[in-house]
Amino acid sequence: MFSKVLIANRGEIALRIIRTCREMGIATVAVYSEADALALHVLEADESVFLGESEPSESYLNIEKLVAAAKNTGAEAVHPGYGFLAENPDFAEACEASGLTFVGPPSKVIRDLGSKTVARRIMTAAGVPVIPGMLDAATDIDLLFMEADRIGYPVLVKAVAGGGGKGMRIVSRQDEFQEACLSAMGEAEKAFGNGALYLEKLLESPRHVEFQILADQQGHVVHLYERECSIQRRHQKIIEETPSPALNSSLRDAMGRAAVSAAGASGYVNAGTVEFLLDPSGSFYFLEVNTRLQVEHPITEMTTGLDLVRLQMEIAAGSPLPFKQEEVLPRGHAIECRIYAEDPENNFFPSPGVVLLHREPAGPGIRNDCGIYQGFRIPVEYDPIISKLVAAAGCRDEAIRRMIRALEGYAVAGVRTTIPFLIDVLKSQEFVQGRTHTDFIERHFGEWTQKRENADLVRMLYVIDELCFPKRTAAGVKLAGIPTPWQTLGGWSL
Amino acid sequence: MKYRLKVGEDIPDLHVFKTEDPTALRFTAGDQEYDVSYKVLGENHYRLTVDGKSTEAFVVRGDHGKHVVVKGSSFFVQDADELPQRRGKPGGGEEAPGEVTPPMPAVVVRIMVKEGDRVKKGQGLVVVTAMKMETTLAAPRDGLVSKINTSVHAKVAPGDILVEIEEEAGNHE
Repeated sequence: MFSKVLIANRGEIALRIIRTCREMGIATVAVYSEADALALHVLEADESVFLGESEPSESYLNIEKLVAAAKNTGAEAVHPGYGFLAENPDFAEACEASGLTFVGPPSKVIRDLGSKTVARRIMTAAGVPVIPGMLDAATDIDLLFMEADRIGYPVLVKAVAGGGGKGMRIVSRQDEFQEACLSAMGEAEKAFGNGALYLEKLLESPRHVEFQILADQQGHVVHLYERECSIQRRHQKIIEETPSPALNSSLRDAMGRAAVSAAGASGYVNAGTVEFLLDPSGSFYFLEVNTRLQVEHPITEMTTGLDLVRLQMEIAAGSPLPFKQEEVLPRGHAIECRIYAEDPENNFFPSPGVVLLHREPAGPGIRNDCGIYQGFRIPVEYDPIISKLVAAAGCRDEAIRRMIRALEGYAVAGVRTTIPFLIDVLKSQEFVQGRTHTDFIERHFGEWTQKRENADLVRMLYVIDELCFPKRTAAGVKLAGIPTPWQTLGGWSL
Repeated sequence: MKYRLKVGEDIPDLHVFKTEDPTALRFTAGDQEYDVSYKVLGENHYRLTVDGKSTEAFVVRGDHGKHVVVKGSSFFVQDADELPQRRGKPGGGEEAPGEVTPPMPAVVVRIMVKEGDRVKKGQGLVVVTAMKMETTLAAPRDGLVSKINTSVHAKVAPGDILVEIEEEAGNHE
């Protein structure tokens, strides 16, 4: 096993990796930018290396600086976390070339699976169902037009080099096709320097169901069951759960086998996630492989009892998987809610700033993977995630109630958060009945506003606080003890 | 004693009355009456009992108001009588019509106009980014760009006037 690992990431995921390393007796090296000098992952690591300015290209996306930091501190391995360089084959390659173990798949696998068309070809050859569509990208509009007719409308136009919705168009009618292609091509050319497009059949109201896989260097592959991630805003997940309310055991087995085949066919090593779209008829289609530890991995840990980061480290160090497929026995139900510094009343606008108050929930079955603390300034440069709140219980209904209880006990002030929004989603009949689809938020919560039923209560608290601590900020001094208002009131009359 | 406290857009009159018990108050808001007792559990931390029902709550002071957190929901409460009077429209609330400010703390990515440019209402002026999300700030009205007070890579916050747009003299189409 490694004696020292560099964590090429920040925030909650860096902290989560540091914790397992500590349990394994592995020393940790954190990296940080200017904005993160006082970030929790830096404070928790055994040592830390300053990378540079807050701009990601000068810090967390800078391959040269990260490799140098690992070499200079004597780290033997690099864990990339998720986001930033986690799925960048050049970074994995740079680590390999410098004699550092990259905790993830080999660079070639990351490169293959990062190309949507190569990935589709690998999956088709392995007999994994893919969404009806093109195997090769094209720039010829006439060819694309013929393909669209073959696939049948509605079609999804996608940029081969795309991501984050850029260069993506939904086309429902033939006469809209040409214009949609031209604008998608222009957008993709500008964003990725590659205007090539390919087409896929558009599935209506699908669910997003993914399977966690683990593969060791000896060629064993297992899956750790599914995660249902249909609740998304801006194509990003905000609530995930396992098991999926949409799977029965035969569908679960079929999808699990497909996920293992997908991993095997691509030569996968380490932890990864095979994403599928599931349509209302129960047909499922390969979407992509995420070649990293997934944000929502804690729910799988809660139901399987496994530590995925520990397993990642062991696989990277060359150990075989310590269990067989039939020994993986998930129990109960787990839900994750992503707490973002965003304004859910205003289109999930980012809300960076200083966290004036942070009180975390606790109690049975609750886990909060959190990267901030009271007094921390959430930087504008990075992902707005504050924490991932996870609730695990014996069944789905209990897990939902437990999550609502935890969210209602989570107090954050100073930045807007998704907490009140998440509470309302979890309480909704649609969610309780498991009718979760990728268009769930647009369809049911597009016009959401925070409930004002507690507005009077909130005003009374303002007044009470004013009466108890009238000079708190005005005089710039904190009063000792806890006086009643009648001691401190001064000369006002009723 | 009367308070006018703004939560969202609402500013109802809230009356506070002393009672025999030093940790109990009576409030009236509109036709609602509340008998309230409270315990101070620590700085910022309260337990409030309204008509027999208890709630844990937190109150922290922010800029020009207080954040009150009840059952996972945070509300920003402002004393309407202490709100800073904005320039521009009397009564405050709205930005002066020709000033462009970001809706959140952000970093400037692109500036798409220069001083002296004629712009149309809705035209993109400045692109800012926060937390990986780009937002285009648009011209609030037709006019001439009279001043640009920012540059690419600058950190900006709500209230900072990035671009000023002047109405063109004699142009009232």
